[in-house]
Amino acid sequence: MTFGFAERIARLVFLGAGLALLSGGPAAAVPIEFTDEEIARIASHGPWPPDWRGDPGNRASGNPAAIWLGQSLFFDARLSANGRVSCAACHRPRSGFQDGRLTARGLARGTRNTPGLLNVRHQRWFGWDGGHDSLWSASLRPILDPREMGGSAARGARLLKSSPSLACHYREAFGKPPSADDPDFLPNLAKAIAAWQETLVSPPTPFDRFREALADKDAAAAASYPQAARRGLRHFLGRGQCATCHAGPLFSNGEFGDIGVPFFVRPAGVDPGRQGGIKRLLSSPYNLLGAYNDDATRGNAVGTRHLRPEHRNFGEFKVPTLRNLTLTAPYMHNGSLASLRDVVRHYSELDEDRLHSDGERILKPLMLSAGEIDDLVAFLETLSPPAPPQPPLPPPGALPCPARR
Amino acid sequence: MKSYAKRYPLAGRRWRQGDGWSVLLLAIVGSVAASAFGACPPTVADGANLVRDGLQLAWRPVIGGSPIAATAIPMARHFAIEVQVCSGATPSGATLAGLDATMPEHRHGMNYRPRIVALGDGRFRAEGMMFHMSGRWQLEFEVQSAKGSSRLFDDVRVR
Ligand code: HEC
Ligand code: HEC
Repeated sequence: MTFGFAERIARLVFLGAGLALLSGGPAAAVPIEFTDEEIARIASHGPWPPDWRGDPGNRASGNPAAIWLGQSLFFDARLSANGRVSCAACHRPRSGFQDGRLTARGLARGTRNTPGLLNVRHQRWFGWDGGHDSLWSASLRPILDPREMGGSAARGARLLKSSPSLACHYREAFGKPPSADDPDFLPNLAKAIAAWQETLVSPPTPFDRFREALADKDAAAAASYPQAARRGLRHFLGRGQCATCHAGPLFSNGEFGDIGVPFFVRPAGVDPGRQGGIKRLLSSPYNLLGAYNDDATRGNAVGTRHLRPEHRNFGEFKVPTLRNLTLTAPYMHNGSLASLRDVVRHYSELDEDRLHSDGERILKPLMLSAGEIDDLVAFLETLSPPAPPQPPLPPPGALPCPARR
Repeated sequence: MKSYAKRYPLAGRRWRQGDGWSVLLLAIVGSVAASAFGACPPTVADGANLVRDGLQLAWRPVIGGSPIAATAIPMARHFAIEVQVCSGATPSGATLAGLDATMPEHRHGMNYRPRIVALGDGRFRAEGMMFHMSGRWQLEFEVQSAKGSSRLFDDVRVR
């Protein structure tokens, strides 16, 4: 890869000034200072973790018995039709709850990349197409989906009844015994699994510490943030306009966009993205407008109630969070980009013909130099913790249910 | 009483939020009139003031039941907008028939369709708004009165 024009000019200027004699090249010698405007925009990507007050739509949210039950079920392959596929088969704790495959493989091969589950409690829409409006309904889909786990209420109830400890925790969480005939049973299983996923929060990152140091005007604390990441951060906020969509503490506005990732699926077909997601959501008995939403005020259903389907939704996918990306390769809804460098190159060489004519106008090929690509990658890497967070402890199943608080 | 157009010589122009004279004039009027939301004519306390076709429209964003400044609308969060339409010192009898917002530079609008609830006395609330990206959003209020339909615009910058 050759250096971009701007960088070559910069090098010439520095050579002319005789400064390049100092090792490390020109950029490395210059500390990056941020303007007040930039510091304010950096501040908008925190604090970490953001405030969170439980899910009003899930009666099991924060309930210890439900969290225990949910954790057990997440790792239990007996929920699936062939007894071999658990949630954790695709959402592996060590990989940020992702599987490293291009597209998921359960009972059959899927067409979408498995998303990580760290910080999933902060999302508004679930699935690449936002086909679910709650964490619990997104957790129910894979249990029933014949391509993923192919389970059923009968299978779930059999599993719970076969285990005194699972049955006891179910009763403690929901106030009644598990029963396949109870219409609440499947939503309750999903609510317990959701309650557990709500505990998956990633630790603060080098970026978070830098952000805090800037806010505190603590130059010494800020100094450890790498120069390359600073330059990348500046591109991210400025020329790249990345923060227009990748906004806030999660680096996602929680909405949808079309950035020109192909949406054809083999052998012959298309993934309609958000357009299909809205249809799926509105036809589901488990959406927040339905009977299983535990928020009697329906105050949590504003988004669902006011959805506005548009032509442009075809081929739109959810703006993913940019936290923990070093754990969750490959990238995009179809896993088509293997590395962060490939992603940044995608934005650099964007094929405008591929973007919808009625789509987003802020995307332009960025034509980044090799150095600028390195810088953006360096910045993205600082949004992950230096080491993978500890996988959560296995459920302490040995404890008798009533002893658990 | 002087005609509206004489009292407000700039009326009929597209008034933008932050127009110094409008704010000053309305502040003076407001200091005389009662300042509770819903009293006519609107004051700065009622939010941003727009004037057109003999109508005065005040709007303010509301989150979780509390009014906030138009400059403080957070990105990618649902909010509501309270609107009050007056003609002079009385509620106008006009209805807020529509409210929408677009990002002219991006050539798209909101992902959500607001629903308008009439609160009585020329007051309305539009629920289910969301500005999902940073940048310039243009609000368009469609007001239906005896004289026909008027469109009033205002700009908001979301960070
Ligand atoms: C076969 C692999 C596979 C299995 C098994 C699986 N998932 Fe997933 N999961 C996926 C894929 C693929 C998606 C994206 C689906 C889409 O876009 O519609 C996903 C999406 C999700 C999401 C939405 C995340 C987001 O950020 O939008 C949640 C939550 C989730 N899964 C939880 C679970 C739970 C809980 C289980 C077990 C009950 C489970 N998954 C089982 C592959 C799997
Ligand atoms: C118009 C909104 C928008 C802008 C601007 C934008 N992105 Fe994205 N980004 C998306 C969407 C939507 C996806 C998912 C697309 C898909 O899967 O088809 C995505 C995916 C990504 C991913 C993959 C994450 C994953 O988990 O798969 C990375 C990394 C990323 N963007 C970084 C950037 C960077 C860096 C910039 C600036 C150069 C940027 N984005 C600008 C909307 C945007």
